[in-house]
Amino acid sequence: MAAAEAAEPAPSRRRRLGRRAGPTLGLLSAPVLWVGLFFVVPVVMIATYSIAGISGLSPNDLTSFSLTPWKDFLFEGPYMGLFWKSVRMSSIVSVTSVVLAYPVAYLLALVAGRRKYTLLLIIIVPFLTSYLLRVLAFRVILGDQGVINTALETLGVVDQPVGWLYYSQFAIYAVLSYVWVPFVALPIFVSLESMNTQLLEASSDLGASRLRTFVTVTLPLSMPGVIAAFIFVFIPTLGEYVTPRLVGGPGGYMFGSAIESAFTAGLDWQFGSAMSMFLVFAVGVLIVVFGRYLNTRAVAE
Amino acid sequence: MNVAVSKGGRRLLWLSFWFLVIFLYAPILILIIFSFNARELVSFPWEGFTTRWYREFLQNQVLLDAIRSSASIAAISSVVTTVLALPASIAMSRRRFFAKGLVSGMLLAPLVIPLVVLGTALLILFNYLQKVAGIPIELGWLTITIAHVVIALPFAVLTIVPRMERIPVALEEASRDLGADAWTAFRTVTFPLLAPAVLSAYLLSFVISFDEVVLASFVGGQTTTFPLYLWSQLRLPSQLPQLPAVAVVVLAISGVVVVAAEVLRRRTDRTLTSSTAVPDDIPNRVEVRTA
Amino acid sequence: MSDVAAAISIQRVSKRFGDVVAVRDVSLDIAEGEFLTLLGPSGCGKTTTMRMVAGFEEPDAGRIVLRGDDVVGVPPNKREVNMCFQHYALFPHMSVGNNIAYGLKLKKVSKADRHKRVDEMLELVGLAGYASRKPAQLSGGQQQRVALARALVNRPAALLLDEPLGALDVKLRKQMQLELKRIQHELRTTFVYVTHDQEEALSMSDRIAVMKDGVVEQLGTPRDVYEHPATPFVADFVGVLNALAFRVDETSGTDAIMRLSDRDRVVVPGGGSAAPGSQLLVAVRPERIRVHVGDVTTNGGSRITGRVDDVIYLGTLTQFHIATDAGTRIVAHRLSDEDTAGIDHGQAVTLTWDREDASILHDG
Repeated sequence: MAAAEAAEPAPSRRRRLGRRAGPTLGLLSAPVLWVGLFFVVPVVMIATYSIAGISGLSPNDLTSFSLTPWKDFLFEGPYMGLFWKSVRMSSIVSVTSVVLAYPVAYLLALVAGRRKYTLLLIIIVPFLTSYLLRVLAFRVILGDQGVINTALETLGVVDQPVGWLYYSQFAIYAVLSYVWVPFVALPIFVSLESMNTQLLEASSDLGASRLRTFVTVTLPLSMPGVIAAFIFVFIPTLGEYVTPRLVGGPGGYMFGSAIESAFTAGLDWQFGSAMSMFLVFAVGVLIVVFGRYLNTRAVAE
Repeated sequence: MNVAVSKGGRRLLWLSFWFLVIFLYAPILILIIFSFNARELVSFPWEGFTTRWYREFLQNQVLLDAIRSSASIAAISSVVTTVLALPASIAMSRRRFFAKGLVSGMLLAPLVIPLVVLGTALLILFNYLQKVAGIPIELGWLTITIAHVVIALPFAVLTIVPRMERIPVALEEASRDLGADAWTAFRTVTFPLLAPAVLSAYLLSFVISFDEVVLASFVGGQTTTFPLYLWSQLRLPSQLPQLPAVAVVVLAISGVVVVAAEVLRRRTDRTLTSSTAVPDDIPNRVEVRTA
Repeated sequence: MSDVAAAISIQRVSKRFGDVVAVRDVSLDIAEGEFLTLLGPSGCGKTTTMRMVAGFEEPDAGRIVLRGDDVVGVPPNKREVNMCFQHYALFPHMSVGNNIAYGLKLKKVSKADRHKRVDEMLELVGLAGYASRKPAQLSGGQQQRVALARALVNRPAALLLDEPLGALDVKLRKQMQLELKRIQHELRTTFVYVTHDQEEALSMSDRIAVMKDGVVEQLGTPRDVYEHPATPFVADFVGVLNALAFRVDETSGTDAIMRLSDRDRVVVPGGGSAAPGSQLLVAVRPERIRVHVGDVTTNGGSRITGRVDDVIYLGTLTQFHIATDAGTRIVAHRLSDEDTAGIDHGQAVTLTWDREDASILHDG
């Protein structure tokens, strides 16, 4: 029976070739057109702007070719330094989120039993609520007159507010980890849950200790989830400017902040476009290197 | 013996779970508390219980307008998102076609682009369309809606495709076989089974749009959405004392919606999983328990 | 058979999927009221053939004629055949009654009529009173009956069944086989049945088409196919078979005769035209072979001596593996009784079978 099932569906899958080309086009044309027009075209335009000799708000001369913004950005000024600083900060945020989420994902996937989906929902719900309002909550907690500082002062631990709690890189790490942890828990949970638990039993049956089982079996098998989680945090964080602006203070200026101000305050769209494109390339490299781990479907479920 | 964890390890894991729950919910709890603090500044000390901030925010016309415009943008963009995601998901899960990998990569690509890049790129596009191509597309609710559809689409597709893949092709074939044309088969069989996922996709798109600030700030023009309003308030060193009250109301509503959607999804999910719930050895005449 | 008499006429139909030829120039005429089984291993093209009749696949070449009309290019909903799917494919969101009424609703049958016909069908398949249940509340066997009712209620020109019993356990499968046969008898509907289970095919069918690699290897009644398999594949697929290669020594009328020793000889009808010295593949069913301890004579039949290699007790039957003195191996089945109990490993035995029980296998 099993053999018959394995072999016979082949025709029914392939059957979709051929005479259904028309309907498929009909199904796909609208979404593809939308994404093409409002995603692919703008990205191509930003690439064009980054090398075309235009500036400011009169984008009507796309003929002259200029690499000045790229040169300015790559070899002069603080921008590459800013980029690497952002890479470092994004790494810290990603690692922190993964470290916080992993044990919980492990618990839910392998230990919690039947309640796991409910418990997972408890973890996920905050992710789906307003991000800016949660930033507000952090101000209430970490600010100079916030919960922590007030508590410390009342207890006499410090006599003036602890400054590095807010308007600092620490605040960025705290807020972004807070924001991303639920999201990170998902792909790790999925990779652990889809793992065949008999492997664990087999490993322990072969005499491995739990720690050894974890290091040699569980951890490697959950790596796709971990890497996917890491990437899904790393990429948006690299382009962050909202959180740095709200809680980061002067030391929290990131690469995304530079892009934003080139477009808003600086009104230098060409320079901003070059930096945006650079970010696209950076993301592209990450996707090429780690793309095979990005089982996006796992995140959706 | 549980091979996944020892007794002590289990305790440690539960500890980490509760730590995370506190980490995630304590800020929200604190917001709730401060929304009732009589003090003008959102900070200590506690100066007594008041519902004044709730009353005031209900009279804050600018704030209410912002919420209203966010809600309408979210409502429209999530309808568009769902309407685009549904056929795309059907094609992705039921059809084979040329360059499928490329198409699915394209549909999912907005997942991995930093929003600041997409925001600036869209700003350039709309600016170009308006100033150079002469298409009268003003920056405002329309451009925000367009942008939100782009980023919500991959999430919607990823919500619908897995459900679609779990609906056996044979069900549609059975429907066709019994005399239904392609549209009737979709309407009477596929769609009813897909509906929970479509609803999830709609709600998810709504939440994404309602909360989105980066794209709105680049292509929003003069329109103030709720996140843009918050963004402008939060950049000030001391914000409106009404904000925690607003936060509590908005968080409560979105929390309820998310949980309700999930519960609904799981309940209806069972229709697909339990196709042979009853064992065969029960004789025909015996009343079969409801599964 | 002409187009008019046949309920379904498959004429020189071929179908390929990419590089794989699933069905190769198949022709079949299925008569009104016939129970025809497409039998073969997975990947033999039986399901594809059926799906082309239903309209889920279009043939690359050939014609499919339903009650006189060429239906190639006609979508499944416009074809007068209905199908029972492998895993029933009941609509999980509809009650049993609504599942069965689905086709009738689409045909705009009046509500009263619909109710009447649904109730009749439920009665026929032994599920009266189950109309308001959801499919998930039924057992696999019951779901199977609903699938049957859902297809039959439309009074199709033919019912196509795609391994309908595959998901049931053995006992229930036997019961459903009888049930299906009874229903087919009652309604006189043409049944086209796809299975890889030879026993199922033999017990239910009027005719069997044995398929392999997209080709019909043999078309015939169960008895034909079983007792006179046309090719080694058919012989092997439809039950256990001894396929013995012997050199022809002489012919006598329509028979070919092989002399293995002074007294041992094999007679095969239909081999009369074989040239002496040529090799023939001879098929003999194990249950046709008699096992004697010691020496016996035979008149007109085949006789061969050997030594018992293995005795396997199978309950009703006992299986003997015999190494013949001529160097071949033969499997024989006998009803288990006192005689067979006395036959032991290593014993010298004589095997005999009647002239009619041997046939020639054409290499397929």
